[in-house]
Amino acid sequence: MFIVGFVLLMFLVSIFAGIFGSIVGLGGGIVIIPVLTILMGVDIHFAIGASIVAIIGTSSGAASTYVRDKVTNLRIGMFLELASASGAITGAAIAAYTNSAALETIFGSILLVSLVPMVMKIGEDVPKSPELKGVSKRLGLTGSYTESDGRVVKYNATRPVEGLAGTAVAGVLSGLLGIGGGAFKVLSMDLAMKLPMKVSTTTSNFMIGVTAAASAGIYFARGDVDPIIVAPVALGILIGAAIGARVLLRSRNTTVRKIFAVVLAVAAVEMILSALGVSV
Amino acid sequence: MNWRDPETMNVVIGRVLRYGVILSGAIILLGTIGLAATSGLSDASGMLTYYPNIVPHDNIDVSLGGLAHGLVAFSAFSWIELGVIVLIATPVSRVVISVFLFAAERDRLYVLITAVVLTLLLFSMLVTPFIPGFHA
Repeated sequence: MFIVGFVLLMFLVSIFAGIFGSIVGLGGGIVIIPVLTILMGVDIHFAIGASIVAIIGTSSGAASTYVRDKVTNLRIGMFLELASASGAITGAAIAAYTNSAALETIFGSILLVSLVPMVMKIGEDVPKSPELKGVSKRLGLTGSYTESDGRVVKYNATRPVEGLAGTAVAGVLSGLLGIGGGAFKVLSMDLAMKLPMKVSTTTSNFMIGVTAAASAGIYFARGDVDPIIVAPVALGILIGAAIGARVLLRSRNTTVRKIFAVVLAVAAVEMILSALGVSV
Repeated sequence: MNWRDPETMNVVIGRVLRYGVILSGAIILLGTIGLAATSGLSDASGMLTYYPNIVPHDNIDVSLGGLAHGLVAFSAFSWIELGVIVLIATPVSRVVISVFLFAAERDRLYVLITAVVLTLLLFSMLVTPFIPGFHA
């Protein structure tokens, strides 16, 4: 059987998800999951399976451009992946002993609270770069990228240990629920490590593919990756990510931050609604 | 290419990711076209609804043997599955190649960091699904 309408609609929705997911560094799952579960009535397991594929597609599709143009910081990404990968394994190990509604309430509330510092920084183009010292210096957590108007932005990371801890939380969340990791990664790099917004979202985008791949094995083995759902999602996401990457490179840090703040609010509300039994 | 130059890594990783998504996208597209061609497009019942757990389609065989069989038999499902596996393998291959790229840069610390990430990643993907009590 082949359902034309469903496939075409999911293809279009996924293009939209890919555009936003690649700009904010969260990967498009927050659009794909509620559309599949609420609008289409698809079981949450198949929706998460599709979301994992959507995250990997957004990540790799957009990162190919971000890495080439050096907006993504490869060393910061690799360093933080230590935490996200360990976190994902920890999340998988403790999943049996946790209550997902309670977790979603806690993490959704943290995301809501983190809106405050995010909104207070609205209008910040490039953060005042601290001196490179300590662990950040040892690990080479520094970089520069060129804005579309030719301006070179240099930055140094601060508080790498806090950044690592926040990213570990992101990994645990991905391992437990299959969702929600990207927001904590961007927040860690933005609020703790004080990176320019575009570096934070594109480095998160770079990392979420690896975090999602770490959890992909189990969803694949369970048969949650359904070809009819995943095919249009993957194709749409790849097109959307290519568009989104071009949009981000031409956008200002302030614009990316505003878009991220809106998406963060939506992600927080989705997570809390899910805890209350609305299956998103 | 100058392998000691840090910018080489951006070029190589950018290309690995690009080729990975193009290859997986092409395979998934072929599978989708095959699915439409073999199943027919006339199914107008419930155009926008699809319940994988209520309306059972061909059973998805997730074993490697089942996948190989399906590929040889030109099963559209199996080809889409292969495309998804290529997509999942793309970030993994990016980590593998990073180990060698950091080695070429003579950056021992990051060779170590990346090798640890790769070990954790492969353990999580391939081993934890089979550990009892995990992912419950």
